[in-house]
Amino acid sequence: MEKAEILKGLADATVAGDVEKATNLAKEAIRAGIDAYEAIMNGCAAGMNVVSEKYEKGDMYVPEILCSAEAMYSALEILRPHLKASKVEVPKKVVLGVVRGDIHDIGKNLVKLMLDAAGFKVIDLGRDVPNEQFVEVALKENAEIVGLSALMTTSMVNMPLIIKDLKTKSPKTVAMVGGGPISPELAKNYGADGYAKDAAEAVKVAKSLVGGGA
Amino acid sequence: MRERMTPMERMGAVLMGQKPDRVPVNPFILGFAAKVCNLPIGDLYADAKKSFRAQVLCAEMYGYDATPMYGYASYGAWEFGGKIGMPYEAGQSAPYVIKHPVETPEDVDKLEVPDPKNAGSIPISMGVGKLCYENRMPVIFQCGEILTTSAMVAEPARILSWMIRKPEVVHKLHKKIAEYFVAVADYFTSTFGADKCMAFTGGPVESNKLINPNQFATFVYPYMKEVHSKVLGMGVNVVLEHPCSDQNKNLPYYKMLREELGWRGKYIWVFGPETPLEKQIEIFGNHDIIMGNVDPPSFQFKDFEEIVALCKDNIERGIKNPSGYILGVGCELPPLAPPINVYAMMKAAREYGSYQ
Ligand code: B1M
Repeated sequence: MEKAEILKGLADATVAGDVEKATNLAKEAIRAGIDAYEAIMNGCAAGMNVVSEKYEKGDMYVPEILCSAEAMYSALEILRPHLKASKVEVPKKVVLGVVRGDIHDIGKNLVKLMLDAAGFKVIDLGRDVPNEQFVEVALKENAEIVGLSALMTTSMVNMPLIIKDLKTKSPKTVAMVGGGPISPELAKNYGADGYAKDAAEAVKVAKSLVGGGA
Repeated sequence: MRERMTPMERMGAVLMGQKPDRVPVNPFILGFAAKVCNLPIGDLYADAKKSFRAQVLCAEMYGYDATPMYGYASYGAWEFGGKIGMPYEAGQSAPYVIKHPVETPEDVDKLEVPDPKNAGSIPISMGVGKLCYENRMPVIFQCGEILTTSAMVAEPARILSWMIRKPEVVHKLHKKIAEYFVAVADYFTSTFGADKCMAFTGGPVESNKLINPNQFATFVYPYMKEVHSKVLGMGVNVVLEHPCSDQNKNLPYYKMLREELGWRGKYIWVFGPETPLEKQIEIFGNHDIIMGNVDPPSFQFKDFEEIVALCKDNIERGIKNPSGYILGVGCELPPLAPPINVYAMMKAAREYGSYQ
């Protein structure tokens, strides 16, 4: 199998949520001597970018995306141990969670998926996360980014409190926010360093804030 | 305008297809009522007496026309043996699931349809119902929607991926949930009489933010139709149906539901703000009531004049519905909305919603 064919196959298998095909192609990539980093970026991550675009256009829905995620993670499991230390920087860490009082975590999970695909190391705190936990974990993990998600006008009010605490205790960590009721203006008012409207943009914003994932 | 009707008379008139003095207002208030009464929001969901009293007082204070109800989106997990938390802590605004009772397909096989009499929140909902009944208000019980409830029983991501990986398991679970909804309807109607009851159904997981219309057709429609048909068959005449968030692509199925049920009963449609009133009137206008769908977050972000303007626009468009219109919010009114913005709804209804 040609290199281009394997990479395209990996991307397609990710989009189609085909776990078996993604696993086989990841193994094939290693056998063919394709660099694992390239297979992740031009195979799995490229596929996830298509998934994200399709979701935003209404051509794909959450059940299919969850299957794509399954396929992507199965390929990553095979490819990651082959990453050459010299080729990749230490992955940047993102502490991610849905703020207190809010259990809407489907969007946050998509953001995690895209950040994972782009090579960030995501520490997922889940949903309904107590305010102080974000900063505690960011300090403990020496994280570059704290990512806050809120879907409700009632819960988003926790964001400025968390960001204020973060800026006092860990000034070098940047804060990125997103979710339905958040706008770029609101993010600015809250003192956030970045705002993303969707999961694909979250990757772009994270990269622009801290200079790249893997 | 001078009001000539009480809230009960006003709502009664709309339900009978008559013109009231002004458009009725139902601001879809739950947690906000607790705030108004200086109660923790948890009390609204955990204590029937406090819930009833807070909702009655809030309605009285503003003069809006809704009567108390009990229901929330995370419904189902507790009733089927899981665990929920009540919103007693800062920032929390509604009950939330702590443990989903279903984690594996085998759990679905083992899952028993609970007896409504002592299932989860039903005794609280029954408590609110009894107080409504004693005060000659309609008794509202929750009986749907199927996918939102199964997502609470089995966890949203799990149920959504099973829709593709294990569709037969989803159908098995939906059958059990549909059976449970019918049992709940039976419990309420046999306690109070079907003519005193109103069914409340709807939910956010059916939204096209999550699923496509074919998935709605396969996994929601057949069960929704079965439950609605049986509930109407028991003699319940009014259904408050809330397709939450953007469900524009599911509209053909809601239309089909009404057609296949022969337009029996009176439905009150509460779509999200994403569904234009004109579209709703075109589909349901000859038979059903439309409850206007002003954008919920706006109530927290916008000021008094802006809310009056949004409500005025909603009234001018909704009042054209031949089968009746209620000024309302497209989902629960945010509990942190400035109190004056609820008054903005009343002001708009009185100034621009007069039928006199
Ligand atoms: C860190 O950086 C970033 C960057 C980008 C980020 C980011 C972080 N986080 C998100 N993004 C962005 O990227 C993601 C991917 O592209 C996007 O994420 P989204 O989450 O937007 O998109 C997802 C892929 C799909 N979208 C979703 O998953 C949310 C869909 C809607 C319909 C929704 C759902 C599904 C649910 N709900 Co609820 N629900 C609604 C939602 C309506 C809406 N318009 O959003 C909303 C959020 N709900 C609402 C309400 C009122 C409620 N819900 C409730 C419950 C639920 C369910 C549990 C049933 C379920 C959630 C299941 C789950 N585990 O997530 C209740 C609250 C529960 C709680 N304690 O939190 C309850 C209070 C109802 C009640 N009274 O019980 C409304 C909030 C209104 C407000 N005040 O702001 C609501 C907007 C519906 C409406 N039309 O009014 C972007 O926002």
